[in-house]
Amino acid sequence: MVTPSGWLLMLPELWISGLILLLLFLDLRWQGRPKSPLGLVSLFGLLSVIPILAWQSSLETQTLLGGMYRIDPLGLFFKWIFLGTAILVTLMARETASSSHPADRFGPDEGEFYLLILTASLGMFFVASAANFLMLFVALELITISFYVMTAYLKTNSNSLEAGLKYLILGSVASGFFLYGIAFLYGSTGSLSFDKIRITLQNLSSLPPTLLVGLLFILGGILFKGACVPFHLWVPDVYEGAPTPVTAFLSVGSKSAGFLVALRVLFEMFLPNRPQWAFLLALLAALTLLYGNLGAIPQKNIKRLLGYSSIGHAGYLLIGLAAAGNHLGATGICFYLAGYLVTNLAVFLVITAFSKQGGSDEMADYAGLSRRSPFLAAAMFLALLSLAGVPPLAGFFGKFLLLMSAVSEGYLWLALIGAAGVVISLYYYLLLVKTMYVDLPEDSAPIPVSVPVRIALIACMAGILGIGIWQGPFLNLSFAAVKNLF
Amino acid sequence: MGPVSWILLSPLIGAVVLLGIPSDRTAWIRRAAALFTGVPLLITGVLLATYNRAQGGYQWVDRVAWIPSMGIAYQVGLDGINLTLTLLHALCSFTGVLISYRIQSRVKEYYLFYLLLIGGVYGVFVSLDLFFFYLFYEMAVIPMFPLIGIWGSGDKEYATMKLTLYLTAGAVLALVGLLALYRVSGVQTFDLIFLERYLRQNPIPGGIQRMLFPFLLIGFGVIAPMWPFHSWSPIGHAAAPSAVSMLHAGVLMKLGSYAILRIAVQLLPEGAYTWLPWVAGICVMNIIYGGFVAMAQKDIKFLIGYSSSSHMGYVLLGIACLNPVALTGAVLLMFAHGLMTALAFAAVGHVYDQTHTRVMADWGGLARQIPLIATVFIIAALASSGLPGFANFAAELLVFFGSWETYRWSALAAILGIVITAFYMLRAVRTCFFGPLNPRWASLQDATLFERIPYVILVSALLVVGCWPRFLTELISASTGSVLKHLSPLQTVARLW
Repeated sequence: MVTPSGWLLMLPELWISGLILLLLFLDLRWQGRPKSPLGLVSLFGLLSVIPILAWQSSLETQTLLGGMYRIDPLGLFFKWIFLGTAILVTLMARETASSSHPADRFGPDEGEFYLLILTASLGMFFVASAANFLMLFVALELITISFYVMTAYLKTNSNSLEAGLKYLILGSVASGFFLYGIAFLYGSTGSLSFDKIRITLQNLSSLPPTLLVGLLFILGGILFKGACVPFHLWVPDVYEGAPTPVTAFLSVGSKSAGFLVALRVLFEMFLPNRPQWAFLLALLAALTLLYGNLGAIPQKNIKRLLGYSSIGHAGYLLIGLAAAGNHLGATGICFYLAGYLVTNLAVFLVITAFSKQGGSDEMADYAGLSRRSPFLAAAMFLALLSLAGVPPLAGFFGKFLLLMSAVSEGYLWLALIGAAGVVISLYYYLLLVKTMYVDLPEDSAPIPVSVPVRIALIACMAGILGIGIWQGPFLNLSFAAVKNLF
Repeated sequence: MGPVSWILLSPLIGAVVLLGIPSDRTAWIRRAAALFTGVPLLITGVLLATYNRAQGGYQWVDRVAWIPSMGIAYQVGLDGINLTLTLLHALCSFTGVLISYRIQSRVKEYYLFYLLLIGGVYGVFVSLDLFFFYLFYEMAVIPMFPLIGIWGSGDKEYATMKLTLYLTAGAVLALVGLLALYRVSGVQTFDLIFLERYLRQNPIPGGIQRMLFPFLLIGFGVIAPMWPFHSWSPIGHAAAPSAVSMLHAGVLMKLGSYAILRIAVQLLPEGAYTWLPWVAGICVMNIIYGGFVAMAQKDIKFLIGYSSSSHMGYVLLGIACLNPVALTGAVLLMFAHGLMTALAFAAVGHVYDQTHTRVMADWGGLARQIPLIATVFIIAALASSGLPGFANFAAELLVFFGSWETYRWSALAAILGIVITAFYMLRAVRTCFFGPLNPRWASLQDATLFERIPYVILVSALLVVGCWPRFLTELISASTGSVLKHLSPLQTVARLW
């Protein structure tokens, strides 16, 4: 096997860039024709990244472009997550585009929607490989700007427009925070390269105020992406208003990107100074957990509910950041996100398939789903239990690792709050289960499920059970991803 | 893979097999469920006969390294204590499947969840690794939600949510305790056999034990159900379909007391010395308060439900004594009470399915119409009141003997509890089965020959153990002895009561 070097290392990114150009060209070329074949092009383009990533997965850490771009196990791990998300989101977009709700359809702009999914994915891939704050910022902006457009994509739907505007305003402020933080960091250390900053910080016994302020500003930007308190206010509205595929993309892709940056910044650079920030994160973890889970209880709209639950999940991930003293926390974050990918996207796949047939996003509309489509109801049941952290499903072991990391760092109180979060979240997930399984449907027409969605759901369910029962290999992968950070 | 793994796997394989049977082939679904719960019963019977009593300890241990880096291993095995409880579960789950033949709606889903529940409970009883113990524990709790929510009766939605949340809250509290235990033990393993040995030589500091013990005690105490965390249980029993009530009151509640005994008391003895005298006080509340509440019930399933939480007080009392006699009594009582409650719920379920009312005053004179079911219920009522000849008598006697020295007041209260039990049980028998027959029930059907099988199994188990308790006490006391071998007797500590 040829060991790739130079530009070949960037093959995944180059491939996606090529795909973007191809889609742009085809979209212009096929003026006035139906655009759904573009979705297929994009889907197969993304699927063919799988062998490329598999080929790269045995590579040692290498840098490129004068230290701007780096390929390492952590980045690769997250590229798998981003790729999986992008594939499933493209699939959902194809379903949504042929929805029976006219207001949900993308109409003539369908082609550009696939394009935007690709640009956001490209941004995520670059975030995974960035080794310099400049590169990181540009990559993050690429993600965010794609999302501004996608969120507001349903031009006749006022909720979508509101969500887009909200996300634009708050997102820009968060980007501003992040950039300002980078400026402080640059001012204090004289460099933007992760490696150089790390070396500078290693020699400091405690962080000077300028660096601390810089770190706080950067954290602000990260917490916004990860949907954590106190930068969570956009979440419920944007999740509810955005088209379902975008919500799914935000909840998994964007959150993973946020926590990847957090791992890079906090663990790679600021690890020696953790006494100065760990407690703050523990506190935020507790607040995020309680806010998300308690806020979810009264929700009636399923996407809004998932918005709050997404905040709750961010709280668990923050526990892993707060427990920085051992590798369990970081390993737990990676494991948790892998489980969250299959679990949460399974939920959104069900929502997509359901709303395609005219169902609304109101939870009451899911009444009797188990009679209308036993398959969708079973997939949803499994996914909701996994989200709540019920063994032996994927969500359980992630929570187990994160609670364990909290206990071994001495945050017993935080572990107790996390445990309470499990109970609260079980309540609102089970309410939905009850609606699906116990209540009677108003309209008992069966819900057809298209073949691609069926395949994707089966893959997700296999993932939920597989990761949950046979944890060992995934644990090793997660550990291999983070072990260079320590 | 040894026999114990097959006990655990059989219902889980059964659940997978059920997925492959079309949902309209209900007869095959029922047969499959009976087969996959019958096999563990047979295996358990064989193991009971072949357990090497002279040697004692854990036998038929299977071990597969699962996540070596964290000290997690799949490890199962049986000693006298969990062999007895596995037998109880095998009896209740198999008869439960037979009782469930009456279920007509959504049969496939019903048996699917039922088999998952059964598998989870077996898992808890046979696991000798704390990680898998917890995993199966939660796995046993969750199928309850759809089982009660879909096939239950009465205020089932409220009941099932309350039950699931209470039990999960207890479980996660215990999980935090287990994680803390993992951390402070310092050996990075969840292996229960190893921890038992290791912590005897290198005990955790007393202060930490005293801090951790309540996590496990309350966490597992919720399902036990220890007062004041019992309120989920009567509501849950009442709302559940008969076979689920049978498993729930018969077996699931025992998971709590089993976990307290096996994990909390064994691994944290210092904590046990400090906290068990309090448990001896609390269980008086279980017994007396639960008994009086049972007396006030009009609904027969609520009556049995409160009676169950009252009787679990005896089990907790037996554990709290930390002496071999009471402990053996406690384990035997778990077994006896499980069978008796299962029997009572099965009989009540038979009537309820036809009358659709559970209010005792509405029944009346049923002994004339359905003599067999009436006899079965009377047997359960007498066993529950501690009539000699039934396993309950032997067990309760052991608990009284064992607790007399240690907690005299609690023992007196417990004996008073027997009187209370006899009062409400006999009154229930009178109201429901004697007196003039309510004409509404003139068409009530008694159990058919096939439907009698579960009653025969349960009654004979109660009688056999009642007439020959040594068969089980020998088995149990060898294992309780090894639990206590390294604990100093509690007599001196607890003159408190």
